[in-house]
Amino acid sequence: MSEPIVGTPLRERATQALGDRFLHEALDIATTKFIALRREAFGDFPEGEALRDRARAIKEATLQRLDAHLETLVANIERLGGHVHFATTAEEARQIILDIARRTGARIAVKSKSMATEEIHLNDALEAIGVTPVETDLGEYIIQLAHERPSHIIAPAIHKTKGQVAELFSRELNRPGLAADPEVLTKIAREELREKFLQADLGITGVNFAVAETGTVVLVTNEGNGRMVTSLPRVHVAVMGVEKVIPSMTDLAVFLAILAKSATGQKLSVYTTLVQGPRRPGELEGPEEFHLVLLDNGRIAQIAGALRESLYCLRCGACLNVCPVYRQIGGHAYGYTYPGPIGILLTAMLNGPGSVKDLAHASSLCGACADACPVRIDIPKMLIELRRQVDEQHIAPWPERVVFKTFARLLAHPALYRLGARLGRTLQRPFVRDGRIRSLPYFFGQWTRTRDLPPVAARTFQERWRGLS
Amino acid sequence: MTAPPTARAGAPRRVALMITCLADMFYPEVGERIVRLLRRLGVEVTLPAGQTCCGLPLFNSGYHDEAAAVARRTVAIFRDADAVVVPSGSCAWMVKHEYPGLLRGTPDVADAERLAERTWEFSQLLVRGLGRTEFESAVEGPLAYHDSCHLLRGLHEGESPRVLLRQLKGAQAVPLPGSDECCGFGGSFSVRLPEVSTAILDKKLANLEASGARCLVACDAGCLMQIRGGLLRRNSSLRALHLAEVLK
Amino acid sequence: MDFHKLASDGGAPAPRRPTARTTKLEFLARIRGEMAKTRGLFPASPTERPAQPRQRLDLLRRELSERWPQTLARFRSEFERVAGVFHRVPSAADVPAELERICRERAARRLIAWPAEDLGVAIAPALGDAGIAVESMPRAVPPDPERRRLRALIAEADLGVTGADLAVAETGTLVLVSAAGRPRTTSLVPPCHVAVFDRTALVESLEQVGLVLEAWHDGPAPAERGAVINFITGPSRTADIELTLTRGVHGPKEVHAIFVDGGLGLHG
Repeated sequence: MSEPIVGTPLRERATQALGDRFLHEALDIATTKFIALRREAFGDFPEGEALRDRARAIKEATLQRLDAHLETLVANIERLGGHVHFATTAEEARQIILDIARRTGARIAVKSKSMATEEIHLNDALEAIGVTPVETDLGEYIIQLAHERPSHIIAPAIHKTKGQVAELFSRELNRPGLAADPEVLTKIAREELREKFLQADLGITGVNFAVAETGTVVLVTNEGNGRMVTSLPRVHVAVMGVEKVIPSMTDLAVFLAILAKSATGQKLSVYTTLVQGPRRPGELEGPEEFHLVLLDNGRIAQIAGALRESLYCLRCGACLNVCPVYRQIGGHAYGYTYPGPIGILLTAMLNGPGSVKDLAHASSLCGACADACPVRIDIPKMLIELRRQVDEQHIAPWPERVVFKTFARLLAHPALYRLGARLGRTLQRPFVRDGRIRSLPYFFGQWTRTRDLPPVAARTFQERWRGLS
Repeated sequence: MTAPPTARAGAPRRVALMITCLADMFYPEVGERIVRLLRRLGVEVTLPAGQTCCGLPLFNSGYHDEAAAVARRTVAIFRDADAVVVPSGSCAWMVKHEYPGLLRGTPDVADAERLAERTWEFSQLLVRGLGRTEFESAVEGPLAYHDSCHLLRGLHEGESPRVLLRQLKGAQAVPLPGSDECCGFGGSFSVRLPEVSTAILDKKLANLEASGARCLVACDAGCLMQIRGGLLRRNSSLRALHLAEVLK
Repeated sequence: MDFHKLASDGGAPAPRRPTARTTKLEFLARIRGEMAKTRGLFPASPTERPAQPRQRLDLLRRELSERWPQTLARFRSEFERVAGVFHRVPSAADVPAELERICRERAARRLIAWPAEDLGVAIAPALGDAGIAVESMPRAVPPDPERRRLRALIAEADLGVTGADLAVAETGTLVLVSAAGRPRTTSLVPPCHVAVFDRTALVESLEQVGLVLEAWHDGPAPAERGAVINFITGPSRTADIELTLTRGVHGPKEVHAIFVDGGLGLHG
């Protein structure tokens, strides 16, 4: 699937995605599978509902004392010999990391999957100063070789066939004629990346959770690249949104119990790695330097903002898997780093409500996302709020506002409403055939291109009422 | 607030019908069937005058001041009702879930809360309010039930319509694969992103086909407009009906 | 094609001079400023922590020691569910023979292992007799040439032998705390990982793991403890290519657990 084009409105990107048959099938299979796995995992887990409530409460409670928890976290990381940096903007975060890379003379940086580093567009910046970033999560590795962006938060290369991957590896890794066999391809990736792990000077990761009480940075992976990246290179840089801090190890156990179940239906991901600063004296392996970059980039402004609840997000991807829109169009069509229902909110958080004037409507408000979210984020509510902001700030196109305001007036005055019905009845006459309307001009054609419309009834219910009494 | 009213003083003897704009304009026969059915069950039905819409389309698109004005009107219209019945899960949700919030801080909030408490979605009224679950089927089955999003997730109601369909005499109920998946209507979504809306609809129709049912049953006019619109366009022999059109 | 340029640099920027970096004080002050504007969405508190975790843990261990057979059965079931291979031997003296069997089955000739004191059993002599080389990991960091030799050796090893600090029944998880003599790569780099443990490692649930973690961090860390705690739940895996499950991506392709009925004589 080719990259979306800059400036293409959402609708065009979505339509393009709908036309990609393989993407469509891949999305359907993957999301259906994830939904079933998640359902099974929670079906087998009676404590699950209570734990979701607990997890939500921990997130809210943490925000209510965010400053104290971050201070505790910083103090503990420093006590353990790590360094903490504070980045207000994406640019600042990039500069901090580039400085570390320059100072440590890094040539290769191995990366374990991190949405935060995607968000700040770190890879391009590293390349610009001559540091080669190497994505080590298999899905991320694939799309890095393909020069694409991830199409799903936890399964980034879901849109690629094994044939496409084989072709890609053959070409980019100079290994012609590779079989379209996932086992073979995985083995090749293992070999290639093993080399990189050993050569790399710098390891860059995200952070799933940072436990304030103990200065522990928690990484969750299935492949083991998180462990490699934090054991072999000399320097480890972890990039984290401020909202990832949690108070204690007791709280950590709550999140571990629901995260993997929500994401993939596993009871736990294969590797949960608790990193506590750089290597200790006596340890054969481990980084000599540990850096934690705390990232704002729009999050802090939402502490008291309309999108506060989106700060609870665990980045599990459950909402993507159940979203009827995402399931049809995939991640690229959203056009930003974070796709899917939560992605719309995060995009607004990072770029302001104007950036989602179309995206906020990429939802039928069905609520499946809120249902699936392990921390019960009310995504539809915030989507409506974003729509309200778009309206309030006059970002919505003026014809739309005129239509809605007119509609509102109609609803406020029953006489106008009844007039509207009579008008509809008259205007529709040329288009009604066999009791249905198959095509309408202008804006209404958006419906009738693919669906019939019922005609306005000869007598509305309220007009018939007298006859019924 | 989103829970169905508890039948405190026994089953309601008198309900006010909130007809909803879609049913009023496009599906008045659904309203007629509800009135006849309830009367047969010994319930008096009134129709407060001057109804327009619950305001959900305005609310969903972010026009909250305008939605609040509509809410105020609706609350006033239904002020004297002891019980209100709505043939649409989304409208019932709007009244029960959003009206109090929209009118918070205004003199109408108490009335809004009272209205929210006294409002029933149609299937809920039959099963939970009146305790009536056995009806004859007006159509040939098999029938498959589609959960409308606001009824299922907003009002946490998936049981009442299923009870009614399971106990129908004269038609069999079959499960609909992906019954809890959206039909793609979403109000203005259906015309803002019509290609996506249609793709979602296609999936629903494929599931309907796979279910072996002859007829899909739903409790929401928006869903019906979308699904029926798709079936008709494809000249399908399958139908989509409101629950009220199925119960005799 | 460059759609990522659509996404700009981020939300509410604080006005800054171009080269200045945000200090901790400034950062936290901004957070406090925003926090002051709201009481939050609902009353909420973090999970209650155990008041005296070490004592609570001792109590828990006593309780667990009474029902360890059930816990073990559950561990085995969950471990196998995530494709772990479970073994059981009567005593520590039987471990080398079991290991030798495992090695023969996959033609493993070069092993890396935790030192005998950390495993609770000496495996090198018996395996050496069988022609299988065992390199015990050093307890102190050796000088560079030796470190390079070790690194190369680790990269070529067929199998890594470790102990396990915890075996979690709910999820089939092995928990390994890194330390001097217990490097991270032993359970990560070779294609096969074998963990040897006894009943003292068994805990039932993730909730109990939370208690253990609290206890481990209650008071100063022991000097030899390392900087990483690894939870291992089955072999390394991915389904990133067409959702087809493959094992042994970056971590081991196989994980074995040898349970020693008679105990390993380690401090629990």
